Amino acid sequence: MAQAEIPYQESMELHHPHSWVTKYWYSQDHKVIAIQYGITAMAVGLVALVLSWIMRMQIGFPETGAAWGITPDIYYQSITMHGMIMVIYLLTAFLLGSFGNYLIPLMLGARDMVFPFVNMISYHVYLLSVIVLLLGYVLPGGPTGAGWTLYPPQAILSGTPGVDWGIITMLGSLAIFIVAFTMGGLNYVTTILQARTRGMTLMRMPLSVWGIFAATVLGLLAFPALFVSAVMMLLDKLIHTSFFMPAIASAFDAAATQYDGGSPLLFQHLFWFFGHPEVYIVALPAFGVVSDLLSVHARKNIFGYRMMVWAIVAIGVLSFIVWAHHMYVAGMHPYFGFFFATTTLIIAVPTAIKVYNWTITLWRANIKFTVPMLFAISFVITFVVGGLTGLFLGNVIVDVPLSDTYFVVAHFHMVMGVSPILVIFGGIYHWYPKITGRMLNDTIGKWHFWVTAIGTYLIYFPMHYLGFVGTPRRYYDNVLASGGESAFYPESAALLNAGISITAFVVGAFQFLFIYNLVVSYWRGREAGPNPWGATSLEWRTPQTPPIHGNWGDQLPTVHRWAYDFSVPGEKEDFIPQDVPRQA
Amino acid sequence: MAEASAGHATIIQDWASDVTTFKGVPWGKAMMWIFLLSDTFIFSIFLTSYMTVRATTAEPWPNASEVFSLMAFGHSVPLLLIAIMTFDLITSSGTMALAVNYGYRRDKRKAIFFICATAFFGAVFVGMQMFEWYKLISEGVRPWGNPWGAAQFGSCFFMITGFHGLHVSAGVVYLLIIAYRLHKGVYDKTNFEIVEIVGLYWHFVDLVWVFIFAFFYLW
Amino acid sequence: MASEVGQQHPLTLYFWIWGLLFVVSAASYATDYMEAGYLRWFLILAFMLIKAGYIVAIFMHLKYERWALIYALLLPPLVILILVYLMATEADYTWLTRVVYFGDDPYPARGPMPGAH
Repeated sequence: MAQAEIPYQESMELHHPHSWVTKYWYSQDHKVIAIQYGITAMAVGLVALVLSWIMRMQIGFPETGAAWGITPDIYYQSITMHGMIMVIYLLTAFLLGSFGNYLIPLMLGARDMVFPFVNMISYHVYLLSVIVLLLGYVLPGGPTGAGWTLYPPQAILSGTPGVDWGIITMLGSLAIFIVAFTMGGLNYVTTILQARTRGMTLMRMPLSVWGIFAATVLGLLAFPALFVSAVMMLLDKLIHTSFFMPAIASAFDAAATQYDGGSPLLFQHLFWFFGHPEVYIVALPAFGVVSDLLSVHARKNIFGYRMMVWAIVAIGVLSFIVWAHHMYVAGMHPYFGFFFATTTLIIAVPTAIKVYNWTITLWRANIKFTVPMLFAISFVITFVVGGLTGLFLGNVIVDVPLSDTYFVVAHFHMVMGVSPILVIFGGIYHWYPKITGRMLNDTIGKWHFWVTAIGTYLIYFPMHYLGFVGTPRRYYDNVLASGGESAFYPESAALLNAGISITAFVVGAFQFLFIYNLVVSYWRGREAGPNPWGATSLEWRTPQTPPIHGNWGDQLPTVHRWAYDFSVPGEKEDFIPQDVPRQA
Repeated sequence: MAEASAGHATIIQDWASDVTTFKGVPWGKAMMWIFLLSDTFIFSIFLTSYMTVRATTAEPWPNASEVFSLMAFGHSVPLLLIAIMTFDLITSSGTMALAVNYGYRRDKRKAIFFICATAFFGAVFVGMQMFEWYKLISEGVRPWGNPWGAAQFGSCFFMITGFHGLHVSAGVVYLLIIAYRLHKGVYDKTNFEIVEIVGLYWHFVDLVWVFIFAFFYLW
Repeated sequence: MASEVGQQHPLTLYFWIWGLLFVVSAASYATDYMEAGYLRWFLILAFMLIKAGYIVAIFMHLKYERWALIYALLLPPLVILILVYLMATEADYTWLTRVVYFGDDPYPARGPMPGAH
């Protein structure tokens, strides 16, 4: 039956563009859609970057910040939008929408996604969700300032910034984003499962595809929880149902809307039932991509490929039963702590397997310190640091005093903020030659790398200390909050905060250098040729660079081996592409 | 197909093979199944939330059997309308199964007829649901409160049946579009698997109703 | 796609299942006339699962699909069962704290509820 299906793929009917609009806007080519996703995600990510400057200004220099017009409302709106944009609209959209779209068909030897039209609509709906999200800035009251977790009751009670419209646009935008993600995600999963080329078994797929595949499955199963809670909170806000709003929310204010007996804990459970898999929706594609980067630029096969695949699967399954470790201080059932601490610590096992395998891949390898490789190595280091603090926070007893301090901020920024961003940078430097046919500028790339890698470390590592001395997160003015004289944490904390802020401004500014590199190299970059890194996976074997619509010539490639045949003893070249037949 | 599905050994063969993992499953059908899996999570989480707020509230929960009773022949019959809606939806599922069967027999005329019949029963279902909403609203049930007890009764009722009703309405539109396109001959070159794909969606809508009927109306 | 792909079954199969679903639905409806209690809850769940099973297995043809697809579709929803179990426990605890801090059990004689307060 498999034989009958290949000709169907080979002759897959593709939509052919006739004008600029159909080529770049109504494009059904997965590569164009990937670039659309990437540019939009990067643009909205820059907005989030500026927002982080605003909040860093206020945290580092409270008096100057206030003098420059950063009110508490603006501060809370900034942290909320920064968090939500970074997690959903940048990381999820970039890793799945952009890398997923670009790499899946190319790495699997397919002509396109199975339903290119749905794929196109997916991007348009994603763009709509971004527009709805940013609408919060022009509507009265501004965007919501409820914190990115949007916990009720405070998210929809008066006094929270953006309670008029901001919370509505936020929840609506999330619901729209989920629709977009579902359309894209169904395409990715179906393509991976049903449209691989001859010889491409699941266990020959590059780990990038495995990571994206597992993350997409997680997304399809976890986003429903966010969707449902967004719908229920919208109902609470708009027609005053009481799913999440307890009676006490209206008890002290006669003018307030009457709420009756809802359960705020329910929202937290649903949010984190989505939220924890979301961490791995971001992390798993990063794991996959970084495995490929390490292997290619170390000229060595990835160590323990099968173990890596099973670790991805195990992490995916476990991520659904660890969610309440975000809620140890929320007042949930006291017995839950034991259950969730146990599952959380178990999930460290497959994660540690991956870290060991990355390290062993580098062991005695012929490491090329190219820019993608530098980013990949710094990912492993950052991820280990961020992951280890996760073990602290996974234990109830340790988490209780550290909750809502900068220790938590340091942990999640290192493990799911900086780490995936480093992989995204590495991936862009790695695949830019395939996308455009030209190399990115190496010197600018190295500057970008060193400032980003060291800078982010300087930003987030001191935050662990801030957490230990008890600096609370999300405070508009820590000095005022502690009685004007830094009464409950030492002077050094204020000094550190100022230093962190200055570093953040510098590191943020250097990201514009990266954008400059992207733009300029498109015209001025060195010609790359079809396979500048000597990589083995199929995307480097297209007849044209950049690949044309339809990717392959008359025939789809045939795969004969895994994607990691580097430095095979007795071979002339130090890499053997996947479509080279084995000798008898 | 009988020998194809025989034996658990095929699991490893299929997952270890190239090209396709689900052998003989067209792209559209695979995509619909995965979508339905995702949708299962949506409805499961709706129902789980309903369970949670119902078990959490300290107010008495209205007795669904009495709330949804109708007067018939001078007696109050509990859940009468809901029972009729259930039978209506099962009937539509039956006609849908026939449509799929005739589709694979390449009997286009009968397939279109049964798809339209399914859409008709679906539309009747939506109509009865509108009547049910109208009746409850006129009795004072609102999403934010009701005369008999916990406010969440109305919230859950309108949200869950509303979301299911939206699925049914979308299904009716989807069925009619497919019937029209079948009639126009869009699918003549294929195996008419599109009828099975729309059928999967429709049976899923019926499936969700089975759970709503048990957990919301009977429990 | 290849022409042998598809689901060919005798029509009588569908009529049998159709009839069966009517009977089970009627039985399911009849539980509404029973006294509340464990037997009734058991029957509600049993009839629900029978109906769901026949719809998925026969009408949606899952029974005739290959095991690779069957497992791919039936295993992930198990995650939901964990959520349901934990949320039932959690709801029970929330309810308990409400009764403890806000007043007495409003209906002490109501007997075991889902999640057995």
